Amino acid sequence: MVPVATTRVRPGHGLFAGLVWTLIRTDFKTRYHGTIGGFVWALLKPLTMFLVLLAVFSYVFANDAQYKLDLIIGLFLYEFFQEATKAGLLSIRAKGYLLTKARFPSWIVVVTSASNAVITLVLFSLVLVVFLTLTGRAPSAAAIALYAVYQVLFLAIVAGFSLAASVLFMRYRDLNQVWEVVTHAGFFVAPIIYPLGILPERLHAYLYAWPPTPIILFSRSVLIDGRVPSPLAHLLLFAEAAVVLGVGALVYRARAPRVAEEL
Amino acid sequence: MRPIVIEAAGVSKSFTIPSVRRDTVREHALDFFRPRPQEKLRVLESVSFELRQGESLGLMGRNGSGKSTLLKIVSGIYPADSGRVDVHAAVTPILELGVGWNPDLDAIDNIELLGTVMGLTLKELRAATREILEFAELEKFARLELRHYSSGMAARLAYAVAFRAVRDVLILDEVFAVGDAGFKERCQEKYRDLHRAGHSMLLVSHEPRTIAAFCDRALLLERGRIVLVGPADAVADRYVELLTEDVAASAR
Repeated sequence: MVPVATTRVRPGHGLFAGLVWTLIRTDFKTRYHGTIGGFVWALLKPLTMFLVLLAVFSYVFANDAQYKLDLIIGLFLYEFFQEATKAGLLSIRAKGYLLTKARFPSWIVVVTSASNAVITLVLFSLVLVVFLTLTGRAPSAAAIALYAVYQVLFLAIVAGFSLAASVLFMRYRDLNQVWEVVTHAGFFVAPIIYPLGILPERLHAYLYAWPPTPIILFSRSVLIDGRVPSPLAHLLLFAEAAVVLGVGALVYRARAPRVAEEL
Repeated sequence: MRPIVIEAAGVSKSFTIPSVRRDTVREHALDFFRPRPQEKLRVLESVSFELRQGESLGLMGRNGSGKSTLLKIVSGIYPADSGRVDVHAAVTPILELGVGWNPDLDAIDNIELLGTVMGLTLKELRAATREILEFAELEKFARLELRHYSSGMAARLAYAVAFRAVRDVLILDEVFAVGDAGFKERCQEKYRDLHRAGHSMLLVSHEPRTIAAFCDRALLLERGRIVLVGPADAVADRYVELLTEDVAASAR
C-alpha cells in the first residue's frame, strides 16, 4: 500500500481578513515610501499621465479626437496588465519571508499583489469618466457598469495568470525575463496603437485570444463609441476569463504545497 | 491519559539535490531530450511520535539530522512525502525568526504582517503592540524601519510577536539562543508560563541543559531516524555521548 502524505490541521485561523488588509496597506506604503502625501502621489500619477498624454496626442493627432482617447485607454489598460502580472509573478518570491513562518494559504499574497495596480486603474477610470463628462461625452450608467465588469474580468485573468506564474517562477528562475519579453511583444499584438481593422479578418480570432485585446476593445467600445459588443462577444470574454482563472488555479494547486521548499 | 494533539506516523521526506536541478526555462528547453539524473537526499525516514496535551517535548540531533525539516512538516509548511501528520490543535510555529522581515517597513507594520500570518486579528494585534514592543525592549524603535535593526533586535521582535500569537501548541526552533542574558531569561519565563497554562510544546535545541530543564520527554534524531525516545535528561545525555564520539572519531 502506498502511504498517503497528509497534514491535517484543524481550522482555527479565521479568514485572514487582517492579513489581506495589512498586505494591501503595506504594499501601498512601500510603493509610496510611506510618505504622508502617499495617497496624493498615487492619485497624481494617473492624473498627470492622462493630462500629459492628452496634451501630446492632441497636438500630434490634432484632427482625430477619437484616436487619441482610444490610444490613452489602450495604454492605461495595458500598463495595468503589465504591472499587475509582473507583481503577481514575483509575489510568492517577494513574500517568501512570510510563507516560511506559518501555515497560511499562499494565494492570499498572490491575489493581493495586484492591489497597487488596481488602485491606479480605479483612479485612471475615475479621471477618464470625469474627463468624458466635462467634454460633453458622458458615458451612460450602463456603459460605466459594463466597463466595470470588463475590469473585473481583467482582474480575474490577471489573478489566473499570477496564480500559475508565481508558483512556476519558484521552479523556473528566468520566467520573469521570459514574461517581460512576452508582454513587450504583446503590446503590439493588442490593438493599442493601431486599429484592429487594418489586419486581415482571419487574424482577429488570434488577437482576441490575447486577453488585453478584448478588454481594451470592449472598454473603448462602451465608453467612447457608446456601442455594446454582441452577447456572443461577451460570452467569449467570460469564457476566456474563466479558462485563464481555472487553469491558473489548477497549476497553483498542483505546485503550491511545495512552494515553501523552493524559497 | 491526556489527549494527543499532534500525531506523526511514518513521516518521510526527501529533497532533490540542487546540483542536478534545472532552474530555468532555458535549461529545460535546451536539455529537453537529455536524461535527467535524479539524486535525492533522504532527510527523514519513517519518523513517528506523538505530543500530548500540556506536554513539553524536546527534539535533539546533530546538524543535518532533520530536526528543522520535521518541525516544518509538523507546522504544515512543508508537505511530507509519505506518512501522516494529524494535528488536532492550532499550532504556532516559531521558526527561523531572525530572518524574514520587510526591511522597508517599520516595526509596527512588520508586527502586523507577522502577527496576521500567525493568525491574530488586527484588533488583537493593535491591543498587544505595546506589550510586544516592551517584551522585545524596542519601544524606542517602533517607527524605525527594519533595515536599520541589528539581527539581535529583529530576532527579539520576532519572538515577542510569536509568544503573543501562541494558540494551543507552540513549536520552537532554538528559542533560547537569541538576545542577551536578560532577554533569554524573559523568554524562558514566558516558556514556563505557557507550559504551566497547559500549552503543549515542541522544542528543538542543541543545548542539553535546555532540553533537560524545559522538557518532560525528548526524541533524538540521527540521520533522519528517531534513535531514542525517553525522559528528557536521558536523551540529553545520549546526545552529549554522540557528540563526544564524534570528537573522538575525528581525533583518531
